[in-house]
Amino acid sequence: MNSLTLYEINSLVRQTLELTLDDEYWVQAEIAELRVNRHCYMELVQKEVQGGGIVAKARAQVWANRWAIIKPMFEQMTGQTLAAGMQVMLKAEVTFHEQYGYSLNVTDLDPTYTLGDIARHRQEILRQLAEEGIETMNKELPLPRLLQRIAVISSASAAGYGDFCNQLKDNQRGLAFETELFQAVMQGNEVENSVVAALNRIAERVDEWDVVVIIRGGGATSDLQGFDSLLLAENVAQFPLPIITGIGHERDDTVIDLIAHTRVKTPTAAAEFLIHHQEEELDALEDLSARLAEQVSQVLYDETTRLKLVANKIPLLFSTVKAREEMRLHRLSASLANSSVQYVEQAKGGVGMLEKQLVLYTSSLMQGERKRIELMENKLQSAHPDRILRLGFSITRIGGKAVKDANEVKAGDEIETTLASGTIRSIVEKNS
Amino acid sequence: MEEKMTYEKAMKRLEEIVKKIEGGEMDIDSLAANLKEAKELVTFCRNKLTNVEAEVKKCLDM
Repeated sequence: MNSLTLYEINSLVRQTLELTLDDEYWVQAEIAELRVNRHCYMELVQKEVQGGGIVAKARAQVWANRWAIIKPMFEQMTGQTLAAGMQVMLKAEVTFHEQYGYSLNVTDLDPTYTLGDIARHRQEILRQLAEEGIETMNKELPLPRLLQRIAVISSASAAGYGDFCNQLKDNQRGLAFETELFQAVMQGNEVENSVVAALNRIAERVDEWDVVVIIRGGGATSDLQGFDSLLLAENVAQFPLPIITGIGHERDDTVIDLIAHTRVKTPTAAAEFLIHHQEEELDALEDLSARLAEQVSQVLYDETTRLKLVANKIPLLFSTVKAREEMRLHRLSASLANSSVQYVEQAKGGVGMLEKQLVLYTSSLMQGERKRIELMENKLQSAHPDRILRLGFSITRIGGKAVKDANEVKAGDEIETTLASGTIRSIVEKNS
Repeated sequence: MEEKMTYEKAMKRLEEIVKKIEGGEMDIDSLAANLKEAKELVTFCRNKLTNVEAEVKKCLDM
């Protein structure tokens, strides 16, 4: 019976492979396991698009001399370290070893493929957040004016946290900050759960903090894919405090860098951001204070000037008023004089009239009287004894006295009878 | 100072006072009172921002 030893058949396989296969192939695969022990050993798989069942599997290794070149190149390009779960495009030589069997000997890696995959993964997370309507929630939170009480998520051991605290403490203007560390794993597969847990611990005391800072120490490692997590992104987006991230890679942002309120590159930059923010606030305060002082002295100056102006006007105003009042007084006295003259004139006129009237009246009265006298004279004229005597009457007198009664005479008395012309003396004979 | 004075409130009030004076709305009668208030607000805010308050607190805790 014709038979081959195991070695022979394995050799045949190896030779067949070596003959029939090209030297190298570009292979797409997912890293299922990875461990580094000078050389890098990987377990590659291909999963079903639907369901995720493994449809192919192969061992692969990168020899130390290649690993020393590929690893930094890959990390620099992607911001990621090669790790389980990562989709990679690798250049591999198919090897078959009689003892160790089939494996892929990796000579190169195409970081752009992984980047594309990471980008797709991030896009997917962002799309999902947008669908949930929470993509910009953390960004929309107003940054408080006072960013002072800072909850820090970091690993205690990392230099980043120390850098951050020192930077804050040594600010030049004596700004006060309060920090508390909420420890979390900042690399590898535990990032998601660990950081979410830290966020939850902060949320329990949400009133005690103004802002959350997620920082990751410098160092060479750049194992960031844990931050490209939907769960973590959802937590960051909906966190009630603004979140500042300082975890990033020089070239590339993780999903939470995109979702967080503010993204800076390093822990030191995060501290600088906070200091700068507070410095601006202090400047605003000093500015207000200076403006206040300036305005107050301006108002005082203006008021003093106003007062002086008014005070200066007073004498002038007073003299104007005085002149005006004097004028008024003068006018009043003038018009008083005037009107009294007028009054006197008027009165004078009245007196003149009266005088004239009086003259008129008197003369008419006199004339009347004269007439009366004339009349009386006439009357008297007519009553004169001469006229009566001439009419034939006579006057008998005794002892010079007119006799009006016969009894006044007795016999023997001498009586005198006056006629119109001449007198008769007679003796009374008898009185009858 | 009011019981529940916060930094944000203090800054808002301070800005209000400064604006009012700058806008010429401040009469001389209320100037002194406003200035006094503003001075207190400035001190309050500055203490909040800088180490003064923290140090005072520390001293009181001891």
